[in-house]
Amino acid sequence: MDVLKDAANRLLFDMSVEQYKTLYEEFQILTKQMETIGKIEGLESYEPMTFPFDCSTSFLREDVAEEPLTRDEALRNAGNKQDNQIKLPKVVL
Amino acid sequence: MKHLDLPLLDLHQALLAKQVTPLALAEEAIKRAKANKDNAFEIIDEEGAKTFAASLGEPEADNPLWGIPYFSKDNFSTKGLETTASSNILAGYIPVFDATVIAKLKERKAVLLGKTTLDELAMGGTGTTGHKGKTYNPYDSKHEHMIGGSSCGSAAAVAASIVPFALGSDTGDSVRKPASYAGLVGMKPTWGRISRYGLFPFAPSLDHVGYFTRDVYGSAVLLDALAGRDLHDNTSSTKPVDKYEEDLNKPVKGLKVAVLKEIVDSITDRELRAHFDKSVEALKKQGVVVEYVSFSRQLLESCYATYIVISCAEATSNDANLDGIKFGPYRGGKTYQEVMYNARTQGFSELIKRRFVIGSYCLMRENQEELFLRAQRNRAKIVDEVNKILQTYDFIYVPAAPGPAPLFVQASDKLSDEYLIADNHLCLGNFAGLPSITLPLCYERGLPIGVNFMGRAFEEKKLFQISAAFERLSGLAEASALSAKEAKL
Repeated sequence: MDVLKDAANRLLFDMSVEQYKTLYEEFQILTKQMETIGKIEGLESYEPMTFPFDCSTSFLREDVAEEPLTRDEALRNAGNKQDNQIKLPKVVL
Repeated sequence: MKHLDLPLLDLHQALLAKQVTPLALAEEAIKRAKANKDNAFEIIDEEGAKTFAASLGEPEADNPLWGIPYFSKDNFSTKGLETTASSNILAGYIPVFDATVIAKLKERKAVLLGKTTLDELAMGGTGTTGHKGKTYNPYDSKHEHMIGGSSCGSAAAVAASIVPFALGSDTGDSVRKPASYAGLVGMKPTWGRISRYGLFPFAPSLDHVGYFTRDVYGSAVLLDALAGRDLHDNTSSTKPVDKYEEDLNKPVKGLKVAVLKEIVDSITDRELRAHFDKSVEALKKQGVVVEYVSFSRQLLESCYATYIVISCAEATSNDANLDGIKFGPYRGGKTYQEVMYNARTQGFSELIKRRFVIGSYCLMRENQEELFLRAQRNRAKIVDEVNKILQTYDFIYVPAAPGPAPLFVQASDKLSDEYLIADNHLCLGNFAGLPSITLPLCYERGLPIGVNFMGRAFEEKKLFQISAAFERLSGLAEASALSAKEAKL
């Protein structure tokens, strides 16, 4: 359970005691199932599959001039703004 | 019958003949969406849709999507329109660009009406975990049965005859399973066939753009519009795009279909088995060669754990940017770590947190070999087995789900120690990146059930050919909760 709590904290969130209990139960099931998978004959001869197909891409993008975001568009996602600028929380104490 | 209930081709003809305008269609669809009680929508962009529909000018005879209204799942970036992926972590997020599929549909002059609900961040299969709560199945007015997920709202919008098509995404079965529960055609083409630029990533090695329609013709013409190389997505394929609706009426005699014996044997629903057996006989009568083929039960049982490990590992890394700084509402904190901690603790629901921890644990150096890399090796072995079958057969054909939509009280996103083969096999198509389509087969107690065909990579045209033949046999083209049809199989 401590390992799971540590993993959650490293991911920068917390969970309730109940939620950790559910997670622990899921882990028991998952590790058991993965152990069973480990016994599948010939598995070690397969390379880990990262994508369904090989897809190599090699090209140079054209240098095309584009309109940047307008001021209004850039400010729409800012939680706090002042005088047409994004106001940031103070992070240096 | 109202225009929105017409097959897509007839609707196109009505638009060409000016019997209805894009604006009138959009208004009717918005009226239906507002009256709908299935909790299917994140946002309805009434003003934007009406303005765009009114601007379309003269009908285009060679463009069957001209003036057609549609909804998009809320995990596609839409410029200027709030996009949350049904998660509180993205509350208020307004994208500054359109996803490629949204841009392509705009070029085709299809009218985007708004965004639909999903399981939070597309990580779920029940249609219950989005920040707006459960999405309901239009076939069940008592709201006891689920519609499935994660593309729950898009499935509901098409099944309720609000729009002729809707966009979804499919990482494990998130289009094709809800399509089964909602009596729809649910398509996931080959990995790389449709650009994913602007689709919020869940697990990129498994993620696909998909969509729902009410007939195979609609599914084929949509792929015409959406397929193709996109310089914004390096995983999009450079292979030429077909004219996908060309072979819909071509005879299917001689095509070879493999039915996976172990999947069919795991179906305990007798009615479904009887309908499925009847469909096999009907295909044979058309001259299709249908044979039962064995697939390792051990590998089928391993699919769900393999999927969970790979998808959660990819997700935990992809969603690290949802931190209350780069994305997501600021929830306060004295240090940047505290800002992230508060945003993520409050922004994610329980299921998402559990999945992130699973993913992170599988990626830890000490666990990688026995969890993450083992799952990736097993994926390779499963894909090898699938492709061996497709060397001999054109398609793999199976029931898409073990029965009709389950009750909400039976639905769970928790890992189970039961091996539910019939419930979890559609991820074969994601592991292998193969084109896969769900089609309605029959009804049980008024609820639809679907079947699934999976073909070889980039052979979507042939997949639509067999699908159209199947649709003629089932008689279920254009069925919806508002205009039920009698199933022939």
